[in-house]
Amino acid sequence: MRPPRLIATALLALIWLGGALAVLQVVLSAGVPTEGAASLMAHASGMAAGYGAAIMLILMSRSPWLERDVGAHRLARWHGWGGRLVIILTVVHTLLAVQAWAEARSTDRMTAIKDVLSLPGLTAALVGAVMLLLVGLASLRRLRRRISYERWHFLHLLTYLAVALAFAHQLAGSDLAGRKSVQIAWSLLYTYAFALVLRWRVLQPLFQLWRHRLRVEEVRQESPNVMSVLMSGRHLDELRAQPGQFFRWRFLTRTTWHAAYPFSLSAPPTCERLRITVKARGDGTRRIFRIPVGTLVFAEGPYGGLTQRRRRRPRVLMIAGGVGISPMRAMFEVIDLPGKDVTLVYRASSEQDLVLKHELDEIAERSGARVVYLVGPSTDAANEMSARALNRIVGDLSDHDVYLCASPRLAGRVRDSLMLGGFPRHQLHEERFSF
Amino acid sequence: MSDTAFEVGRRTPRIARLAGAPSYLIRWMLRIVTVSLFSAATVVGVSLGIGAPEISPTSMVQQPVALSDR
Repeated sequence: MRPPRLIATALLALIWLGGALAVLQVVLSAGVPTEGAASLMAHASGMAAGYGAAIMLILMSRSPWLERDVGAHRLARWHGWGGRLVIILTVVHTLLAVQAWAEARSTDRMTAIKDVLSLPGLTAALVGAVMLLLVGLASLRRLRRRISYERWHFLHLLTYLAVALAFAHQLAGSDLAGRKSVQIAWSLLYTYAFALVLRWRVLQPLFQLWRHRLRVEEVRQESPNVMSVLMSGRHLDELRAQPGQFFRWRFLTRTTWHAAYPFSLSAPPTCERLRITVKARGDGTRRIFRIPVGTLVFAEGPYGGLTQRRRRRPRVLMIAGGVGISPMRAMFEVIDLPGKDVTLVYRASSEQDLVLKHELDEIAERSGARVVYLVGPSTDAANEMSARALNRIVGDLSDHDVYLCASPRLAGRVRDSLMLGGFPRHQLHEERFSF
Repeated sequence: MSDTAFEVGRRTPRIARLAGAPSYLIRWMLRIVTVSLFSAATVVGVSLGIGAPEISPTSMVQQPVALSDR
């Protein structure tokens, strides 16, 4: 297997190269107006925004190649800053285009706005730009905390409509008009992006629903606010899911069908059963707790590269915080190492929060692996999760592959400490689920 | 085949019965779906590109103004 980092770097370089070419062809284009800097900047930002929007669709298409070889968390990170950049470029393009129009026609901005909006495709493009801006605002950290995951997810779906609304304007824009080969290439970029989305985000889950008939078999309480959902279906081996991976689950009841939640498998998948373990974080996840047995499940996936395929070193340290134990529990059972040199460090704020403990103890006893529970307040020195403390627990940390899944705060602390301590980045494998 | 099995077989829609097909058939079906989808995307993309405007609406309005300014 090629290292994901190398593939990711190559892909990122390709994306930037495409962006540079899109902007460069504006500068070299004979049709570029030379009235002022505003005009040139409007054209360049518009092309860059249009190109970026298509790239964002491709990155979020859930294409298995991207998910496996680049990694879900890396794609989400790229999408996070790439999406912001596209929205900023769209706003800059809109403002500068009006400014350039007003300058070219020696008119005021209000008249320029009226003139511009009377052009074919421009009203639809403006509606698209406003929708993108709304999505961007909803994703701002401060606002995002106040919006439920379900609303945020629904708002995000509007971006497809926004991108489609702006397409006619892009194709007829003066940077592309009259240049058939570039117009065809641009159209293909968009139709392929939408085809990827349709193939992997719509058809694949529908196909999986039809083929596997996944249904809720049992909902089991693990702790006051953590539940395990056991699902059964047919031919589940065809999914080729691996312990450590996750799906986006949509439970088809009247109150839960509209939202897809990313949850890791908390047990190795079998031909007939899948299990997830879920913590109640909001109204949406709480509703999952009340799902009736027999509910059909629409599952997108499997996604994520937090699997034992990533392992390179002879020893493994797994670090789990709270419900982050889910993927670790699944991997802990199957990870196969000579000498079984596997240590699982499980951090929880109280004994009650240690979910699946009996299963972990049983696996450890059977396989000879080790589980270390760190329970209690984080201020307690015994619960320290620094590189030094972890080194004390396992000995020779640098000889380990470290798998990490915890809350963003705990994962951040552990990651920073490991990096500061000189731990090699490529030996740290993690999945982040914050949205 | 017993009467009950016959009844179930008759009442299950054909598309649902297909879901039980062997894996290799399903894999081929998915490949065909993927190829068809991207072929359609190619046709639509090329048609959109060919049918796209030769002259941009913005340049149509801008040019006479720019010329008259000079």
